Amino acid sequence: MSASLQQIRHAAWQAFEAAGLPTTRDEDWKYTDLSRMQALLGDQWWQLPAADAAVDAASFAIPGLDAYRLLFVNGHFDAAASNLPAAIRVTSLATLIQDEPAKAMELIANQPDALLNSSIVAANSALATDGACICVPENTKLDKPLYILYVNSGGTTHLRTGIDIGKQASVEVIEHFAGSDVSTGVTTAVTAIRLRDGAHIEHSRLQMEAAKQCHLGRVEVNQQRDSSYTLHATELGGIISRADVVSRLQEPGASCNLNGLFVATNRQHMDHHTRIDHNAPHCISRENYRAVLDGRSHGVFNGKIVVAKGAVKTDSAQQNANLLLSPHAEIDTKPELEIYNDDVKCAHGVTVGQLDKNQLFYLKSRGLSGDEAKQMLTFAFADEILARMGNQSVRRFVEKEAFAKLPNITDLEEMLG
Amino acid sequence: MLKIENLHASVAGKEILKGINLTIGAGEIHAIMGPNGSGKSTLSNVIAGRDGYEVTQGTVTYKGHDLLAMEPEERAWEGVFLAFQYPVEIPGVNNTYLLKAGVNAARRHRGEQELDAMEFMQLVREKAKLVELDQSFLSRGVNEGFSGGEKKRNEIFQMAVLEPSLALLDETDSGLDIDALRIVAKGVNTLRAADRSIIMITHYQRLLDYIEPDVVHVLADGKILKTGDKSLALELEERGYDWVRAEEAAA
Repeated sequence: MSASLQQIRHAAWQAFEAAGLPTTRDEDWKYTDLSRMQALLGDQWWQLPAADAAVDAASFAIPGLDAYRLLFVNGHFDAAASNLPAAIRVTSLATLIQDEPAKAMELIANQPDALLNSSIVAANSALATDGACICVPENTKLDKPLYILYVNSGGTTHLRTGIDIGKQASVEVIEHFAGSDVSTGVTTAVTAIRLRDGAHIEHSRLQMEAAKQCHLGRVEVNQQRDSSYTLHATELGGIISRADVVSRLQEPGASCNLNGLFVATNRQHMDHHTRIDHNAPHCISRENYRAVLDGRSHGVFNGKIVVAKGAVKTDSAQQNANLLLSPHAEIDTKPELEIYNDDVKCAHGVTVGQLDKNQLFYLKSRGLSGDEAKQMLTFAFADEILARMGNQSVRRFVEKEAFAKLPNITDLEEMLG
Repeated sequence: MLKIENLHASVAGKEILKGINLTIGAGEIHAIMGPNGSGKSTLSNVIAGRDGYEVTQGTVTYKGHDLLAMEPEERAWEGVFLAFQYPVEIPGVNNTYLLKAGVNAARRHRGEQELDAMEFMQLVREKAKLVELDQSFLSRGVNEGFSGGEKKRNEIFQMAVLEPSLALLDETDSGLDIDALRIVAKGVNTLRAADRSIIMITHYQRLLDYIEPDVVHVLADGKILKTGDKSLALELEERGYDWVRAEEAAA
């Protein structure tokens, strides 16, 4: 390891130690109380060992998905179980640290403000052992998606993934976090994406951790001219989960499209903070997040959009809709718009509600039982987000996993038709 | 088929229906006409079982059963169908899937075998032709982005698929242009049957030019004020409703 990488790691560790975990006094963490995580995991939350039990990674994989595969088990790349494309360069962070420390350093150190803003990212920078490093050369369109499956058997894993997409190149990446329910732990996962001129990515991020796992994630996207970023974020698993999604539209013509779905039950806590920076003229952003909350679950959505001075002809629209299936479920949602010039189009809207009585009556008047009608409307509400997925294997998989969580979903196969 | 006796119903504490008496035999078509606010839609909602309508007095007997004791879905299984005045848009719920669930729920209730996907699609295609509904509507969300006329046609299409014994058409003709009205009327006429009764609630006599009723009732101020044949509708069209009220007051 080169001295400079070590220095960065050391500085990050010091930043983490100095800051400690964020508290609810911090405006950005007002609704997500990590002291609950600390109570669950203890003071050594950042270095808990995984359970010894063998992990059957294949059992977690998306069925029927035709893709290149990268498998990480308990934070370590499993080359034998992976299937890498020949056309583009894909390696693991551990290999990169060994072979090309300067490149590894670039990946770990490319978020100077994040390092200061979030002690969790600092801990991740200090401790990340592995992750995927993907370079798509210019004018390359990968023939199949890249499927990154991170499986754990509890314990702490720190994952750092970097994706660099060359000019006019195009790729689909699926990040899938899963685990077996044998012990508690936490996953920190930072994914940095760079889109060069005219580059495209469709990025699915499936948080399906085991029931007692915590998940702290960050996706950071830097976009150059005419590039486009599409996110399908689904939060289904874990006991406490938080993800920060930051998209920076740095040059004219860049666009981002953030789609998110939470399905929370029991005492699950799910938080997405998104931030879109319109830093250049003629950029487009679309954001559509929905939450289905049952039991005593708690959802948090914070959508910040910052339109910089000079970012004229900005076109931005944000929607957040929340369905509360239980009187004890809770959502805290907050759109935040900061606009520093006049020539922009920014729309936003938030709804929080129960199932629509008129729709329920309509369905019952056609012969559906009350339970069937509720299930059908819940499905329709959530699927509005999943229908945006281009990859049908991923969509079907997420639909099944999402609706398996909800009561009264009986003939799902048929409903998916 | 349906016997309504001294039916009183309130919405939010306000009495809307003030003693309705109505008997409808099998295979009959009855038109209920009346001015705005007379209680026409309240009557159809009470029969279909919508929440928020409180029956304070009277009985509704359907095929010998106490209709008011049934849940809305039980009424549907027993063959009651309401064509909505304002059909609800349900984005994301597939039109065909909804109907399949409805048809099969009713079949289960009757102890019949459920239709499989093939049989059902055959049924649906055939019925869609009846109301000249484009096949593309079958795979769309329920009423999602449909025009006013398309929504009403979709209601009659659903009626054709669900094959009810008692259909309530709540202002199905409102807002239809003459072509759409013809199509809807043709659909309803095709569905006339000896074991199927139809109640048409309407403002306009013109519907009755296309679907000929056996009986015409005038509903005003929460009561049936007058009952007659088709000529009563023509008279209402010509003279309005006030003379009926005056006649009632005089009696």
